[in-house]
Amino acid sequence: MRELSNFLAVLGLMTTLLMVWRQSRPARLRLLAAQSTVLAAQAVAIAAFTARYSLLLVAVALIVVKAWWIPRALGRMAHGAPHRPVTPGRSAGIRLLIAGALVVLAYVLMLPISLSSSLPTRGGIPLAFAMSLVGLFACVTGRDAVEQILGFLMLENGVFALGLLATYGLPGLVEAGVFLDVLVVVLVAEGLVMQIRQEHATIDVDRLRELRG
Amino acid sequence: MLLVALLAVPLIAAGVLTRATGRAATRVHGVAALATAVLALSVAVVVVRETSIDALGGFLRADALSAWMAALVGVVAGLAALEAPQYAGAESRRFYPFFHLFVFTMLLAVTTDDVGFMWVAVEGTTLASVFLVNFERSRASLEASYKYVLICSVGIALAFLGTVLVYFADVTRFGEAEHVLRWTTLRRLAPGLPPSIVEMAFVFLLIGYGTKAGLAPMHTWLPDAHSEAPAPVSAMMSGILLAIGVYAILRFKPIVDLAAGPAFASRLLIGLGLVSMAVAAAFLWSPTNYKRMLAYSSVEHLGIVSLGLGFGGAWGLAGAMLHIANHALAKSVLFLVSGRIRAAYASTDIAAVRGLLARLPVSGPVFLAAMLALMGLPPFGLFVSEVMIFGAGFASGRVVASVIGLVLLLIAFAGTLHALQGMLHGEAAGRGVEARAWLSAPLMAALAVLVLTGVAWPPGLADALAGIAAVIAP
Repeated sequence: MRELSNFLAVLGLMTTLLMVWRQSRPARLRLLAAQSTVLAAQAVAIAAFTARYSLLLVAVALIVVKAWWIPRALGRMAHGAPHRPVTPGRSAGIRLLIAGALVVLAYVLMLPISLSSSLPTRGGIPLAFAMSLVGLFACVTGRDAVEQILGFLMLENGVFALGLLATYGLPGLVEAGVFLDVLVVVLVAEGLVMQIRQEHATIDVDRLRELRG
Repeated sequence: MLLVALLAVPLIAAGVLTRATGRAATRVHGVAALATAVLALSVAVVVVRETSIDALGGFLRADALSAWMAALVGVVAGLAALEAPQYAGAESRRFYPFFHLFVFTMLLAVTTDDVGFMWVAVEGTTLASVFLVNFERSRASLEASYKYVLICSVGIALAFLGTVLVYFADVTRFGEAEHVLRWTTLRRLAPGLPPSIVEMAFVFLLIGYGTKAGLAPMHTWLPDAHSEAPAPVSAMMSGILLAIGVYAILRFKPIVDLAAGPAFASRLLIGLGLVSMAVAAAFLWSPTNYKRMLAYSSVEHLGIVSLGLGFGGAWGLAGAMLHIANHALAKSVLFLVSGRIRAAYASTDIAAVRGLLARLPVSGPVFLAAMLALMGLPPFGLFVSEVMIFGAGFASGRVVASVIGLVLLLIAFAGTLHALQGMLHGEAAGRGVEARAWLSAPLMAALAVLVLTGVAWPPGLADALAGIAAVIAP
């Protein structure tokens, strides 16, 4: 149980770091789908080892919503936009370095948490926390709307993984609310991004410059 | 039963209004808003008598703090509902359903006892109101909506992280009892929770819900969303939605106080309060757009509230809660009138507004009075609540923070006064079209209440505030 859960947690963080490294958007969207699948596997593993079968429902929801529907929605939003940023810009090296620093920070911050836990999954707690920190970083440095929403989803996946590893998930009703929330956020964002594309013919948020002061 | 009805009315209204159009829609909207306000006030009255009520097996619960917030939601939504038909116009099906859904999510956030569900409801407030912010579908409102939904969703994700950590602390220490995420359970177990984890959780909760409360430096979405939304929506967002962010923080404050001692949360709240006041003062020194001026003033006042909560003590807490209510009334009146000013001058630039009192002989004076109230002048209630808050600051020995706060207050005061003068003076280019007279009566009533909280507290107010302080203070 411990080895499997740690392995899946490492895999989750790897997908997050790969998302920071890769410049191509379709590749990032595939990585998001892969990450959500890893989370689902984590849920199934915990369900199998602890006989908490309600987590199987969570896994199904993860696959349907986060591994299938959301990456497709993001793909629709970015449809027709260039796969890579047009302007040559920041190299992935510096971003990866910062992400690495965030992983270290996550370990430092989460040490008291994983020490006070007695669950076999506790080894993954700092990794999940690192996933959310790196996601937050990706979100605030995102150059276009899809990158920002992608960052938000990475953050969300990280928090979700944290909940899974630290407490075997939250009470069912809350968990359902969280899924609904992510779904609606992406739906709303899709509507707004489509409107932005109509108005500005781009998803580049630097074009949003009406409101100042 | 009362709580269920309170939530059912706006939810059902939202459903019905997706189908209704024209006069029927306006009527359903009006009746629903009135019923919501009456039910919210009845909850407040019942809770003053019975300390707390619950429903659905404790899932819904209203104590003094919830009742205070619910009453504010009811009153401000009622005020906003009166002006809403002029904005909804022919597209009422894009307006009324979200209006009532927005009210529903706010009421759910303050009446559920489950802090996990409270999180869902608070995020729901963003998702219900984003369509209202983008109602005009202009480039500016589109940009405001995008920023609003993204920044608040990220903020709220961090609040979720905080909630997970609280849940973790609870489950690890006490095992998976039933209803662990119920606030009443948390509060009971709080003294035994590990301090370091609860402190870290509180930091995330403060950043997350602080984003919704418009506290700087997480306030960046606020001036855009509040200035681009239609006036009734701005009124609700500034008046009560920000206060709901504070409410969510307040639910966790006693938990962290009991687990880790009161100094921790106190220091953070004072720090955030001062930063917010400083950011607002920097803008308010020379504002150019009156809707943005009102929005930044909300950052300032929520900063003052945060300061009051940080100072603590009976006066600090009561002052902060009273300030939330005073600000809600004054700011919603101001945003509603700002919609009329915009209609009369076809601009939101302060420089474009001249001779306000002559151009709008009813709305103009209401705007002036509400501005004076907002600036903290007697006889209005904001003066009293600010005195209570800063009094608590000096009494608790936080002299430096209190003095900095007062200086920032003065800077904002001077800048706002200058802008207000500009709007009042000058030649009016004829009489503008006034809103119908009966529409101004509720606004004047709100101002009258502000005078009451400033001069003579109505019976029950002191008890209600003491009841809230007992909930917040461990």
